[in-house]
Parts: sequence; C-alpha cells; structure tokens
Amino acid sequence: MQFAPEKLDADFYRRLQRHWSDEEIVELGAFIGFNVGYHTFFRTLDFYPMFSPDGRLVSQEESRRIYGDSPVSHLDPHVTAAVEAARREAESS
Amino acid sequence: MNETFIDPVAAGAARDAGLSARLESLALAGDDDGTFLRILAHAPRYAEALWDAMSEALMEGGVDHTLKELIRIKLARTAGDPYFSRIRSRKAVRAGMTEDDVDAACGDFEQDPRFDDAERWALRYAHLMYRHPEQVNADFYDEGKRHFTEAQIMELGGLIAVHYGMQMFMRTLQPSASSPADPSA
Repeated sequence: MQFAPEKLDADFYRRLQRHWSDEEIVELGAFIGFNVGYHTFFRTLDFYPMFSPDGRLVSQEESRRIYGDSPVSHLDPHVTAAVEAARREAESS
Repeated sequence: MNETFIDPVAAGAARDAGLSARLESLALAGDDDGTFLRILAHAPRYAEALWDAMSEALMEGGVDHTLKELIRIKLARTAGDPYFSRIRSRKAVRAGMTEDDVDAACGDFEQDPRFDDAERWALRYAHLMYRHPEQVNADFYDEGKRHFTEAQIMELGGLIAVHYGMQMFMRTLQPSASSPADPSA
C-alpha cells in the first residue's frame, strides 16, 4: 500500500475477496492506512515509550537507552538485555 | 465516480448502519457522493471512528480551515488519489479558496508570495512527512513553534496522518488512480 500501491489492482482485490469478506478487507485496508499515516507522524516526534518492557515508568532518556535508536520489538534480545542491565543498576544503587 | 474494487454500500444501507449524521456532514466537506464513507460502511464501527477523526481534523480546531484544506488536497495528490484530489470543501471555497491557491499549494509554495511563513511551514510539513520524514526533526519543529502553538502543530500532524493514511487506502481501490508521487523526489 505504501511502497507499491499500483500492485493493489483488480486482480489483487479479486484474490483478497477469495479469502476475506468486503467488511474484513475494509477493516484491513483502513487499519493499514491509519497505521502508516500515524506511525510516520509519530516517528518525526522522536518519542519513546513511557514504560519499560517490565512495566516501570521511565524517563525519555532511559527509554531511549532501553529501546535504542531503531524500532525493535520489546521482545528483542537487545531490549531484554537493556532491561536486565537497568534492573541490576537500580538494585546496586 | 468511477467503479471501485470494493462496492460502496447504498446510502440507505449506510443510514441503517447508523451513519446518517456522517452522511449529512459530507455536504460541507464537499464530498457529495460519499463514496469513501460508503465503502467504510462495510465495517460500520470503523466508518464511524475514522470518519469522525477525518472530519474533526479537517473541519474543527484552531488552525485555519482553508490552510488545512489546501494541505488535504496536496496530500491527496501526493498519494495519487483521484477521489480525494477532486473534492473541495465548500467551507473553504466560501472562505475564498481558489483553484489557483490549490495549484500554488501543490506546486512551488516556498516561492509563492500568497503564503506567509507560517503557511509555508505547514505546507512543508505535509510535503516532507511521507517523502523525507527524517527532515522533520527537532530543528524543523523548533521553526514550527515560532508560528504555531504545540496544540496547533499536533492538529496539523494529526490531520496529515489520518487523511494521508485514508487517501493511500482509497487510492488502491480505484482503477483510475495515478502513480503516487515518488517519495524519494
């Protein structure tokens, strides 16, 4: 939808309709459009989650250290390692 | 309106799905056919939420409506979406918006004397968001804060995000759609 919309042609929609109802296709299309629209906007705001993956309220600086500069899942080993390091640091201080 | 890959539901069925008030709101926005809302009406709860967000972002708020309408049309052209590119808000037309203004906003707005610095920044915001989001950085927002409040900047960002997202979806539903503008251009 975002990078090659010309490929979403009549044939593509016919194939979609073999698997999904019109209601479900509308739901998927609107969901994708909404998320591409908003996540690109959010990216420009350069904000980080308010919570660490283990549920602590954290500052933007700490959140940036935990989640890193590139978008990754909170299940990514880099993130879980950063959470563990932050927990150890909190316990030792 | 050309045929779309997902048929719009009939206006009566959209009303039966609880969308009467939304259908009536189309006239002021200049969307007489209501095709997009009637396509969304296949999923009525999505239609309610998304249409309300699109309508609120465009028709209400603290930023001049005509500037937001120019941004909406500019985004539709960027998305290559003929449906939303054709629509003109009656509220903006009554306020004096012309096709020359539309072409200026979609063209070399940076050099056009009809726009002031605040309007140029807002048009640049829309121009860069999906072409060069990396340029919409701290310096860019600092400049925006010289012209707009933070609430107004969020209003503009929300308008850009929800309308471009839905235009992108609508673009794929139309056989007559053009290629979207090259995001790298």
